[in-house]
Amino acid sequence: MPEILVQYEAEIWQSIGATITMVGVSILAAIVIGLPVGTSLFLCRKGQLLDNRLAFSIVNLLVNIIRSFPFLLLVVFLIPFTRLVIGTAIGTAAACVPLAIIAIAHYSRLVEQSLLDVPKGVIEAALSMGASAWDVIFKFLYVEARSGLVLGLTTSIISFISYSTIMGVVGGGGIGDFAIRYGYQQFQTELMIYMIIIMIILVQLVQFIGTTVARMIDKR
Amino acid sequence: MINLHQVSKKFSQFQAIKAVTLTIPKGEVHGIIGASGAGKSTLLRLMNLLESPDAGDVEVNGQRLTALSNKALREARKSIGMIFQHFNLVANKTVYDNVAASLELAHYPKQERRSRVVECLQFVGLEGEMERYPAQLSGGQKQRVAIARALANNPQVLLCDEPTSSLDPNTTAEILDVLANINKRFGVTIVIVSHELDVIKSICNRVTVMAAGEIYDTILIQPTGIQKRDNRPEYFIEQLAKNGGLDHA
Repeated sequence: MPEILVQYEAEIWQSIGATITMVGVSILAAIVIGLPVGTSLFLCRKGQLLDNRLAFSIVNLLVNIIRSFPFLLLVVFLIPFTRLVIGTAIGTAAACVPLAIIAIAHYSRLVEQSLLDVPKGVIEAALSMGASAWDVIFKFLYVEARSGLVLGLTTSIISFISYSTIMGVVGGGGIGDFAIRYGYQQFQTELMIYMIIIMIILVQLVQFIGTTVARMIDKR
Repeated sequence: MINLHQVSKKFSQFQAIKAVTLTIPKGEVHGIIGASGAGKSTLLRLMNLLESPDAGDVEVNGQRLTALSNKALREARKSIGMIFQHFNLVANKTVYDNVAASLELAHYPKQERRSRVVECLQFVGLEGEMERYPAQLSGGQKQRVAIARALANNPQVLLCDEPTSSLDPNTTAEILDVLANINKRFGVTIVIVSHELDVIKSICNRVTVMAAGEIYDTILIQPTGIQKRDNRPEYFIEQLAKNGGLDHA
């Protein structure tokens, strides 16, 4: 192993840990909240099951607003809110708040798009068999859209990794922050390059797993 | 069995159905035919309230669907089967799971589900394809899975929306055979919407002709029976050469 990596081994592991925490919380938020939000975006559209223009407009606008922020500004803008929720605006836990919020907005949009790909006829067939909205969502929509949902989540996770790299501004830590502070600011270009390589490997791995799983569960 | 009373349906500016009244007695194979845009599919979709009417009443199996709560309507739909032009199977579920889904929705007892699915697939001749996915089946097979799915809960009524319109003539004959059988063996009332005159003539007892959102006429006919089409290459050549065939190229 290169000497410089040995020298900073403890810090590097800590950074990887922070990145995994931040990305992990983002994924959790995307699935637990982003998926239902994206599903409701889809269902509230005109002509869909719950057809509700008001609910759609509100959620749609909210998602758009969050997504229009340059991420760095969103982090800064959310500081008072983060302080309210976590008690502090500094550190890895605090960094998770803006990450979770962007994760929800990001993934919900991709969920909406995947669900739009489900043929309308499948929903009609479900309704003709007496399916409730709940049945339609879990027994038909998610089953039919599952590979799109996985691919969307893969794309989202890679964005979360990228977002997590700038969390150094609020002391969030992580590989990106380490690369900037130790690699760039202390003129250890070699170290920065190693960190970039770690990120590349991470992204490749996520993409590979996502694509493989999506292909395996797609029977269409 | 099915009573539509003064039913109207409008899509934004377009009056698709204009105060239609129609009664379809139990056990009948009823055809609905007309030009595209005449309102035949909409009329069919009003029979299980996939489209809810702006005015009028829909009554099926002695239940006024238009007066039911959402929950009661879902219950009522379990005894109204429906099949579609594009089959509308769940592509990510196996043949078995597609049929089982309709039993699951109806809370059919778990232990008896498997045998019921097998029974339905046997009826349509697909018991050997249970573990395959729709993408691996031909159009005719897909429609037969859809029929098995629609039959699983022993419906009183089977609504068919252009059931053969994306199938070739031979497969069409196969599907019509299955539908005729369902009517004969289980006494299921069948309503078929089609723009193909031959399809309607072959198995319907009574036919409603629609034009511009209204019933033009309803007539009784003697079904001609289902003719298997000749599929031999010789037959195609004969037919092509019969009128104005010039020479072999």
